[in-house]
Amino acid sequence: MAMPADKLRARVTRTMFLGFVIAAYCFLLLPLVIVVLASFNAGELLTFPPQGFSLRWYSHFFNSAPFITSLYFSLRLSAVAMVVSTLLGTAAALYVVRFAGKWRDVLRLLIVAPLLLPEVLSAVALLFFFYSIGLRKTVGALVVGHVLITLPFVFLAVSSVLYNFDVSLEEAARSLGANKFRTFRRITLPIIKPGVISGGLLAFIVSFDLFAVSLLLKGIGVATLPIQLFDYVTWDFDPTAAAVSTVSIAMTLIMVLLIEKLVGLRSLRF
Amino acid sequence: MATPNQVAWQRPTIGSHAGHRARAWLRANAALLLVSPTLIFLSCFLVVPYVNMLVMSFRNPSTTSVFAPGYTIGNYTKALTDPFYLGVLAKTIAFGAVTTLVCMLIGYPVAYHLARTRARFKGLLYVCILSPLLVGVVVRCYGWIILLANNGLINNTVKQMGLAPHGLPLMYNAFGVGVGLVHVFLPFMILPILSAIQSIDPALEEAARSLGASRIGTILRVVIPLSLPGIQAGSILVFVLTISAYVIPVLLGALKFKIMATLVIQLLIDAFLWPFGAALAFILSASGAAVVYLFIRVTGPLMKGLA
Repeated sequence: MAMPADKLRARVTRTMFLGFVIAAYCFLLLPLVIVVLASFNAGELLTFPPQGFSLRWYSHFFNSAPFITSLYFSLRLSAVAMVVSTLLGTAAALYVVRFAGKWRDVLRLLIVAPLLLPEVLSAVALLFFFYSIGLRKTVGALVVGHVLITLPFVFLAVSSVLYNFDVSLEEAARSLGANKFRTFRRITLPIIKPGVISGGLLAFIVSFDLFAVSLLLKGIGVATLPIQLFDYVTWDFDPTAAAVSTVSIAMTLIMVLLIEKLVGLRSLRF
Repeated sequence: MATPNQVAWQRPTIGSHAGHRARAWLRANAALLLVSPTLIFLSCFLVVPYVNMLVMSFRNPSTTSVFAPGYTIGNYTKALTDPFYLGVLAKTIAFGAVTTLVCMLIGYPVAYHLARTRARFKGLLYVCILSPLLVGVVVRCYGWIILLANNGLINNTVKQMGLAPHGLPLMYNAFGVGVGLVHVFLPFMILPILSAIQSIDPALEEAARSLGASRIGTILRVVIPLSLPGIQAGSILVFVLTISAYVIPVLLGALKFKIMATLVIQLLIDAFLWPFGAALAFILSASGAAVVYLFIRVTGPLMKGLA
């Protein structure tokens, strides 16, 4: 008599637990799914049920000069930030993992600091700084802000690959007569390449989505895509913003799939 | 080949001796060239700006320029004696604590499930958990605006069904901001708890079960105590991120819901009160650090004997 009641209770508990977990996943995905659905909705206003499939908001987006200008600006800015932080971050990771002695932990903390400090506080500090040296509101200031925030991502991605690196491979190459540069190019670089690429892609995503830093450091009349989107959402409620958002989600998704294919998301440790 | 004579003739003078030493040092420390660009970059654009901001917080305020000559601690005393700023600070910390608690309550079951599941689509679940981090903050908030706004999806549906004729206040208040913050900071709670649970030997749970503990009893008395370090790490992360969050409170609170970070930026950007705003920013950071320190002191004894 007791057993079935116990089993029933266990089953109810288990079902409730699973239901809760599924609800939590829905919560995590909800705003993204809503944005994508809204972008394909034919109606002017967002209502439920949807009013049929349409691509008109995408054509609005691609015919809107402010959005296209800011999209190009964002792509260029993120590309520059990605290249600079990939170069700086990869070299720094090589040093910290391979050569740094007693300063290793201090160095690592310093390089990861922009990730630990509030983004908006770093942006304010940079704003004060650029104001005092007279470089306020220039594109250079914007690039510096983006590199500062994206650098830790490259550093972490490359160092996590380097920690699993078998140094004897390099020693073998050296003992077989390769010089330092050749060893680096033929042995080290190919092995750390996945970390460098995924770090760079991550830097691109982060830079492309950065908001607070861009808002405080951008010049007048300059807008990145998130800022343009923010301005639009503040004044308009039509689903053009949803189309822009969906394009941005799609870009991120492509990058994430690339990272997953190259190294696996789980290898990125934060 | 240099004969001993030639070498003696070429004996370095003091200047080239120094050059020689520098070259030898460089050869030994050539690797420093790898990190020096980053060090220079971070010194110029991270260390100096933060020091500059700290100095700024001690400058005299001015009405005609961003600051007046001379130094003072008046910015700090003004902020710490004004009930308005203290009230906003208390509200910010309380809001951070509630957000952290909600993240913990939602995040723990999700982390436990992911740690113990044998589902084939585990990788996909992992991507779902990371997804809020990978999508830009404006896009994420826009999704919540579509849902929560006064003429948004939920309110329109509710009105159509006649449940609440005037709609529900879902945005521009603590609720809307809280939803946005819990959503984006949930991964920071789930990931540390996940790795803590993954490091617990499942045999311990089986042992507790075979000794007669119920499923819930096992979780409460075995799994949760052993995963406390993960809970602690996740809570600290979420709390610190919440009290310094700026963009989400602005987008979902529309300045009607005031917390410290939005207030500081308003003072700095709109009112140009740079010294006072900088002082407030440091007070916020120091209060956050104090709360985290207290939290570690309180939870530390619970984790005695855990790595």
